[in-house]
Amino acid sequence: MIRNARRLVCLDANAARLGLSAGLTLADARARHPALVACEADPAAEAKLLERLADACARYTPLVALDSADGLMLDVSGVAHLFGGEAGLLAEIEARFERQGFGIALGLADSPRAAWALARYSNRRIAPAGLAGKAFAKLFHEMPVAALGLEEADAADMARAGLRRIGDLAMRPRAPIAARFGVEVLARLDALNGLERDAISPRFAAPDFCAERRFASPIAHVDAVMATLARLADDLVVLLERQAKGARLVELMLYRVDGDVRRIRVGAGRPLNEARAIARLFVERLAGGAEDEIDAGFGVDLMRLSCLVAEPLEPSQREWERAFEAERAAKLADLLDRLSARLGPSRVTRQTLVDAHIPEQAVAAAPAVRGEMRARGEGLGLYLPAEAPSRPLRLFERPEPIETLAEIPDGPPLRFRWRRVLHEVAAIEGPERIAAPWWRRLDAPTRDYFRAEDASGRRYWLYREGLYGRETQRAKWFLHGVFG
Amino acid sequence: MARLRRAVEEIEARSGPAETHAPGARLSLNRTLDRALGGGLSGDALHEIVPATPGDGGAAMGFALALAARFMAEHSAAGLLMAEDFAARDMGALYGPGLVAHGLELGRLVFVRAPDATALFQAMEEALKSGAPAVVVGEVWRLQKYDLAVSRRLLLAARSGRAPALLVQASAYRAADRISSAAETRFEISAAPSAHLPSAGSERGLPGRPAFAARLVKARLTSARGSPIGLDATRVIRLTWRSEDKQFDEPSISLPLVAASAYGSRAARAPG
Repeated sequence: MIRNARRLVCLDANAARLGLSAGLTLADARARHPALVACEADPAAEAKLLERLADACARYTPLVALDSADGLMLDVSGVAHLFGGEAGLLAEIEARFERQGFGIALGLADSPRAAWALARYSNRRIAPAGLAGKAFAKLFHEMPVAALGLEEADAADMARAGLRRIGDLAMRPRAPIAARFGVEVLARLDALNGLERDAISPRFAAPDFCAERRFASPIAHVDAVMATLARLADDLVVLLERQAKGARLVELMLYRVDGDVRRIRVGAGRPLNEARAIARLFVERLAGGAEDEIDAGFGVDLMRLSCLVAEPLEPSQREWERAFEAERAAKLADLLDRLSARLGPSRVTRQTLVDAHIPEQAVAAAPAVRGEMRARGEGLGLYLPAEAPSRPLRLFERPEPIETLAEIPDGPPLRFRWRRVLHEVAAIEGPERIAAPWWRRLDAPTRDYFRAEDASGRRYWLYREGLYGRETQRAKWFLHGVFG
Repeated sequence: MARLRRAVEEIEARSGPAETHAPGARLSLNRTLDRALGGGLSGDALHEIVPATPGDGGAAMGFALALAARFMAEHSAAGLLMAEDFAARDMGALYGPGLVAHGLELGRLVFVRAPDATALFQAMEEALKSGAPAVVVGEVWRLQKYDLAVSRRLLLAARSGRAPALLVQASAYRAADRISSAAETRFEISAAPSAHLPSAGSERGLPGRPAFAARLVKARLTSARGSPIGLDATRVIRLTWRSEDKQFDEPSISLPLVAASAYGSRAARAPG
């Protein structure tokens, strides 16, 4: 619904020939042409499709940006010669999109604004480099002012003042125009000229290092993909070695013939500069879950391996002792990378102690691929190995409720029942009182922890929730952990 | 050729058959256990740890982690603690502060969770083979996939990586004598009442150091000198874990110190 009516948003070529136009209400259009086929507009799906097309365009240049709701902006500086010149590049892009059933309008010029204007408001596609003076005027001055990318209302204002074409604006003194329509108009005009440069903001930053292979005919076999991957890794390592760097985050992009792009990212725990180690990360990942399997579809015709994050390699250590240590550390890092790639980073973790009293917050886990964790505290020094351990070996994610029998309501239990087994308490220590931090204003009840040992020597960590008489009248008991 | 064969036979007759595997370093646990194990626990083999009853899962893990702490004290490398998802759900996840209190260095531990038993065995094998860790502890719940072939693979991986594998079979209670595997040793662990510390206010004491009752069910025993020794599978060895110096108590000083001084034992009177 736009302005209280169902309106046409987009038309195909046939509908346009019949004289329909965007903005017309559906009822009017149906009245003129009862056979009109209309379907609901879905901007979200269109945006998603455009993003996928943008990804597919990354085969031409890494700098691809989305441009409003229906355009893509490619920075092809220094790229065109790879495709046989600018005309060749445009022909290649057009052919590829046409094969997928998209009709596109293209424009190529020195500045993004000029290319935009060419694509949308001109039959010419390419503005020669260094265009100025008369040639520039010939190409652009006949275009309507809308080609500057102005708001519709602004363009209408100008039309009322008799300024319909870009030429009308460009030939006039600047000051009155700025005074009446704002400096933005002049900025747009300068951008068109190339005097002022609009920056395009690419969807993904260009990688520092990348290697790619194009195939004359698409490949569809996993083996072929793997073999190419190994060779790409070789190429990438050569690039990395020149700067004595190693890869921490690597991305493999598979461009399919049908326009789909598959991105696979893997991280490494230490900077890698061995081709085999890099390739192996992907092998683990591709062999791992079903979701990561390569669906080659009609085949892959471009593979690109890029290093997104590179770090300087550590200087190699000379002494034997250190070499041995470092070798073990390197082996461990490789092992953790492989395990993380196969099982998922969240399943391979390290833990550090945190300065917090609440037991379940006293420890933090993080994926081991990120390397050593920085300690986030000393853990309050409560847990040092001592006469008897103060914390259990295993902690239940959810404390399990137990039934207890105690002499007095706020005393330690004599016996308790957990998972339908009755335990006689033979030795008990407590309470250790742990309250929620008051400055967080949590209303969690205070807990009194007890270490209890039953008659057969099993040790458990119990707590009573709520201070008897003050916070609760009927304290609840839980079993929170098991000692070794 | 015949002469060479004879020469080999002569050498074998003199010094026993050639071994395919030279015994690696052995880890000393305590006097009683070392004698039962023939000199200690080998540092490059598969050892199984089985709880005696369903309630002894905590004790079995405690014993395995005590062994891991001993192995990690020998090497400066990392320790890998791997577990099947289900084990962590059923018995609680391993808890950092508790591990520190048990004598392990948290900074050197890596925790791995596997979705099922097969993935767990695969990950253990790979970790052992890599030669990186000082010890790999695995906790498995579903044992259907565990057989002679799998255990043999783990054993060989431990050999090639020169790292010990400790496999805790959380669900194999009461089955310790029936499992067949290639493991070098198998312990059946049950919890044991600790030496209670006197309490000021109540008749009930305070729980003391972690204590275990271990039964050595299986061991490929050869003494340090190479001759096989007997295995007493019915003998229960009581162990107390001293987490601060990462050692099992010698039985002679397992009495609490307070009680020992009351008896006027040698330990209390010794100078220094």
